[in-house]
Amino acid sequence: MTSGRVSLRPGSVLPAARGRAFLPILAAAAILLVVPQIWFANSEYTTSLAVQALVFAGYAVGFNLIFGSTNQLFLCVGALAGIGAYATGILSNHASLPIWVGIVAGTIVAAAVGGVLSWVAVRRSLGVIFTGVLTLAFSFAFQDLLFGQQHLTGGSTGQPLTAAAVSLADNQIGGYYLFAAVVIGFLIVFRLLQMSHFGWAFRALRDDEVAAELAGVNVARYRIYAAVIGSAMIGLTGAFYAYSEGFISPPTFAFDQVDVTVLVLVAFGGLGSLLGPLLGAVVFAFVDNALVNSGQLREVIYGAIVVVIFLGFRRGVPHTLGAMAGRFAAQDNGGGRWTLPNIRRRER
Amino acid sequence: MKAAILDGIILGLGFGLLGVGMTLVYGLGGILNLAYGEFAVLAAIIVAQAISGGIPTAVAAVLGILAAATAGVLLDLTLMRPVYRQSGGYRVLLGLMLTLGLAFVIEGVLTWRDPLGGLTISISGKPIPFLGVPLAVGSVWAAVIALAVGLALLGFFAATTFGRGIRSVIQDELGAQLVGISPSLVRTVIFGLSGALAGLVAVTQSMTSPLTVSGGFNLTVYALIVSVVGGLGSVAGAFLAGVLLGIVDDVSAYYIGSYISDIVLLGAAALTILIRPRGLIGIDQR
Repeated sequence: MTSGRVSLRPGSVLPAARGRAFLPILAAAAILLVVPQIWFANSEYTTSLAVQALVFAGYAVGFNLIFGSTNQLFLCVGALAGIGAYATGILSNHASLPIWVGIVAGTIVAAAVGGVLSWVAVRRSLGVIFTGVLTLAFSFAFQDLLFGQQHLTGGSTGQPLTAAAVSLADNQIGGYYLFAAVVIGFLIVFRLLQMSHFGWAFRALRDDEVAAELAGVNVARYRIYAAVIGSAMIGLTGAFYAYSEGFISPPTFAFDQVDVTVLVLVAFGGLGSLLGPLLGAVVFAFVDNALVNSGQLREVIYGAIVVVIFLGFRRGVPHTLGAMAGRFAAQDNGGGRWTLPNIRRRER
Repeated sequence: MKAAILDGIILGLGFGLLGVGMTLVYGLGGILNLAYGEFAVLAAIIVAQAISGGIPTAVAAVLGILAAATAGVLLDLTLMRPVYRQSGGYRVLLGLMLTLGLAFVIEGVLTWRDPLGGLTISISGKPIPFLGVPLAVGSVWAAVIALAVGLALLGFFAATTFGRGIRSVIQDELGAQLVGISPSLVRTVIFGLSGALAGLVAVTQSMTSPLTVSGGFNLTVYALIVSVVGGLGSVAGAFLAGVLLGIVDDVSAYYIGSYISDIVLLGAAALTILIRPRGLIGIDQR
């Protein structure tokens, strides 16, 4: 920041805009910091819901980086989180290593697995669907492995972490702040990437892969970078989850528990947007809690919400609402995009 | 070993039948119908309720298949309309998400109305010896039905005018339109056919093992894997992939154990995708 030399690397942001780029994150951090004090610090139930929302926000930021920024449909978010969590559990339980070793190792393994999956998909130039099916197959194989390797994972009964942080589980507000810090950290990384040459490459390859390649963007390399960083985020969140929860079992990382939710909440918040995943996770937590007593109807309503979001709010609910407000304002000036339909009608 | 291979072929014919409905719909518009397995479950519940209402099994099965076909047609006429107005990657994503939402709705409604529902069709009779291996009557029936439907579909696509019309839409939508074939009519028919196939899968599956309310998603995933391995849009490919994966599954279960066999199956599928992204049979659709 203080170097003074204006770098003109492609995609870099002018220093003046640099500070402003972090304002949304700062605002989110302030809100996350204050909300427990004025609202739910005393309610263990609400706190645990908030922790759950932040865990999913952590997954979602990673997934958003992989899918939203570079179009790689990774349907193995749960499996990557599971790798982080189980590496932490197995290393601390069976190898009696300090817990932070497990967390670091879990993150690295998740990043490596995500990188390999991406490398394979890129090398074979698999499209969205094939990447999706490949990672889906990986997800299911990973679940089978968790159930099968009972002596390591505890099978379907799960595994308690003997070295888990008692303070985090008992005093859940600690867990809340841990995950709030994690999510804010992820958002900062995401923003920094967006502002560097990464963001430039991501935007180019999302718009048109071939054109990006022709313009000199190494599409393959940026995809793999995005997958490694995103998978590391997911793995780290999973590892911290194991650490704070003190108990892990296969269903926690199952496809229908994690991936489906993450996909929905990222779509809700807007693919590729900065705060979308966090916003989606928070809204999802509210909706989920409101439907908690609806029994089986909960799934029906949930499915209907997915359909409505995708029919009506293609670029995420916040974006569409913002655009509607913008159009409303533009209408007063008698200009803007509002006039387009009229022109088209006249042509006919 | 011989028994394992035969069992694998029987299992694989079921996989093939499952994959066909998925693969046809994809071939037409680039849509992966994630509600596919739920259509099968819907049919299963209807058949089960009809049977418990005193309707003969065969009639009940036809009712269930018709219901699933109707569900397919309705899906095409409603939710899929906005999807076809999109193109490229966004069409794929929108198709995935809308059918995923629909899958939740169907599964939710079914579990709400009939939480313990499920379908088992037991066909009594002595095991039929085949090449010296006794096979359960139910699985023989299931395999014979799958094989007959597969051959009928191949014949339909190869020899009838309408079947060729469908194939022409799969190959080149614009070209088909230019020679007077209506892609939207073909799509509606294929969605109906796909639904009927899902219903048929429900019937044949329940002859060998019970199909429960919660089993829909697994069916969808296996249909997805089979159709991708076989080559999206290819009927013969789906059956070939189904049989090969079935043999891989049963032989590895025979030699190594059942939980590893699932991993072997998934690994074999992933490997095929990597070595031949277009699938065993099928045009390059990357």
